[in-house]
Amino acid sequence: MHATKQKHDFEPKIIAFVCTWCTYAGADLAGTSRMQYPSNVRVLKFPCTGRIDPVFILRAFQKGADGVLVSGCHPGDCHYMAGNFHARRRFAAFRKLLEFVGVDLNRLQFSWVSAAEGGKWVEVVTELTERVRAMGPMKEFKELELEECWSGKIDTAELEEAYKAIT
Amino acid sequence: MPKTITEQNLRLLIDSLIKEGKRVVGPKQAGTMVLYEPLTAGNELTLGTLPRRSAKEAFFPVSEAILSYEKSKDGVKIEDVNTKAFPETVLLGALPCDAAAPQILDAVFSWDYKDEFFLERRRRTTIIGLACTSCDDACFCTMVGLSPTETRGSDLFLTPLQGGGYGCEVVTEKGEALLARFPQLFEEKAEVKLVAPAAPEGEKVDLAKVKAWLNDHFEDGMWEEIATRCAGCGACAFLCPACHCFDIVDEGTEAKGTRRKNWDACGFSKFTNHASGHNPRDVQNKRYRNRVMHKFKYYDDKFGQTLCTGCGRCIRACPVGIDIAAILAEIMKYE
Amino acid sequence: MNNTAQKTETTVIDATAYAATTEAIRTEAAKLLTEGKVAAVVGYIPGRRKGTAIPGIVTDPEQAKDLLFSPACVNNLALYLTKAKKEVSKKGRLAIVAKGCDMRALAGLMGESQLKREDVVIIGVACAGVHGSGIHPAEPLTSATIARKCRECTVHEPTGADLVCGKVPTLPELIAVEQEELAKLEAMTPQERWAYWKEQFSRCVRCMACRQVCPFCYCEQCLCDRNRPQAVDSSPRPAGNMGWHIVRAMHLAGRCAGCAECERACPMDIPLNLLNRKMAQELKELYGHEAGLEAKEKGPLAEYKEDDDQSFIK
Repeated sequence: MHATKQKHDFEPKIIAFVCTWCTYAGADLAGTSRMQYPSNVRVLKFPCTGRIDPVFILRAFQKGADGVLVSGCHPGDCHYMAGNFHARRRFAAFRKLLEFVGVDLNRLQFSWVSAAEGGKWVEVVTELTERVRAMGPMKEFKELELEECWSGKIDTAELEEAYKAIT
Repeated sequence: MPKTITEQNLRLLIDSLIKEGKRVVGPKQAGTMVLYEPLTAGNELTLGTLPRRSAKEAFFPVSEAILSYEKSKDGVKIEDVNTKAFPETVLLGALPCDAAAPQILDAVFSWDYKDEFFLERRRRTTIIGLACTSCDDACFCTMVGLSPTETRGSDLFLTPLQGGGYGCEVVTEKGEALLARFPQLFEEKAEVKLVAPAAPEGEKVDLAKVKAWLNDHFEDGMWEEIATRCAGCGACAFLCPACHCFDIVDEGTEAKGTRRKNWDACGFSKFTNHASGHNPRDVQNKRYRNRVMHKFKYYDDKFGQTLCTGCGRCIRACPVGIDIAAILAEIMKYE
Repeated sequence: MNNTAQKTETTVIDATAYAATTEAIRTEAAKLLTEGKVAAVVGYIPGRRKGTAIPGIVTDPEQAKDLLFSPACVNNLALYLTKAKKEVSKKGRLAIVAKGCDMRALAGLMGESQLKREDVVIIGVACAGVHGSGIHPAEPLTSATIARKCRECTVHEPTGADLVCGKVPTLPELIAVEQEELAKLEAMTPQERWAYWKEQFSRCVRCMACRQVCPFCYCEQCLCDRNRPQAVDSSPRPAGNMGWHIVRAMHLAGRCAGCAECERACPMDIPLNLLNRKMAQELKELYGHEAGLEAKEKGPLAEYKEDDDQSFIK
């Protein structure tokens, strides 16, 4: 029997960038095995983690994600041989850059989840979701969206409304 | 009898205007530089240094929303920006090169299309100019027909006095009106001793001769010689009080967002990129040539004015040392 | 950007050696042009204002006497050898006057197959340092006016050039201002760092001077200029500005030569070199990579090792 879902005040938006061949399949397996995990995660399928441009992670945060997960094949198992090796270096560098600019790295998780690891997928997603839930919504980028240089700022109710409506 | 205002009263004037609910924009220390920014108190006014950026932002923002849109099942809702919501502003402490520019720009912004974003801000702003008592070797206002004491473009004009305080000259009705509202802050003096104005190097350039040369030398080898150095950034255009090109972009999602008007520069490589892919100004020297042509020929052709006030910001900011005053001097050498 | 050293006393760096460097450059340039070995020499020539040195492309041996070297020679001339300034290399074989930091950029470009060593004559210069951003070119070179990047320079006498002009004078003790600032930032909390960068980027007007003077930003179309898809908002607002600088720092990671031209070119005094330095530091720690005077075929992000660090991956 399923446990009753707990009601929360804050439901974080988690964006997951995953590779088709391993993690996506692993997530599929979790589903067909009827494993329960938070529905906060929105999965974006890529052929390989090597295709995941760091700018996508940045864009996810800018457009309202509270947490981001990037997951792919274990090193050595990449469908395209070396895609995840390149991704590994790229993300090692990018997370340091984000940290330097002031993003809390607890919101950004990387993982290797194979096609057989349905259980690991559930574990990784649940852990990230709960961790981000405890941290609260990611305000930094959203607040930045609302900022306007002094010359373009008008203090009118209509404009405030328009801005609030965008994010 | 000439009117004067003490240093202290000038600060008090700012405080009074702010209390009235006006926006007061003036030179303010911002980190390592001085910028024209809204002041929150009179003591924030920082005079004596040319602000890094020009004052054109008060009329032509770096980036502004011009409308917002929202798509719903009932259709698309578009909201215009209420130009009546632009704040009443006093631009205080604008140096002559900055004060003269908005007047030059009035022509293009009320030409084939009345740009209310600019014009309404102009209507709602009173400019208090300030004479320059110091300059550096990049200043060349005198070369283009202005001077450190030029009152053109200001509504009121302040000149530093020996011993402190400022002489205050009424230039327009708007200035007169502002003065009349604060009689207690201004004094009348029988005689005033002005601080000597700055003396920028460079003789006045014969702008008609420059224009004539530009007319006949579109393909001159000089463009390649100077402009090959140009890196194609927008530093000169963005800091210039007279440059006014902008780009319209939509930001947001398909469902809702804003349309914005952002600063743009003719030095950017894709500035003249057509939808077909053809780019008439495909090489940097063509783009730099356009900059000089626009400032010293095209704008004069259309509006009878030179699109340059000699502030020298482009010269200071150019990362590769392009010097427009040197180009003017070079052109003057011909014939 | 605070360019002044903390000491109240400033030590003048003896720049009289630069006169000899200038002579050597002029002689070599005249020789190369007369003998037809190169079609043009990319070097520094005087500007209109006193003391300014600007990039110049000399094609006539008679003009070689205009070339100079002084503390005002701040530009990284490697920019003129890149794809972004195609019109220069179209002139033919080139010679370039290069300081140590500029040579690191040349080495990087060679590594990325943008330049062939045999196609360029490198006139190296022994350089004690150049002026910092905002310093008037006519000012003397002192411990207060010297550029931040020069305080920690390790390539005063570059190797790998076809010849090196001049000798480096003795240098005084210089405070490593950039290193201190970097350490200060690293010691802050994420929130404090965010506030710091937010404030810095609020002044950015997206003039793209940082990109345009960078020898490594030679993409025919920058990712951030495209609007299908729009990677980064183009409006000069805090949101888009943050995105722009993050993307640029990432695209330069492992490639940046540390010439700090981006920081010098920025009209709004944003300390951009701190971002690039941080990335360089991380890549050194993670993969032992350092931008050097030798052309490396693959940068750290273009290759991998099977045992790369993955401590951050679950």
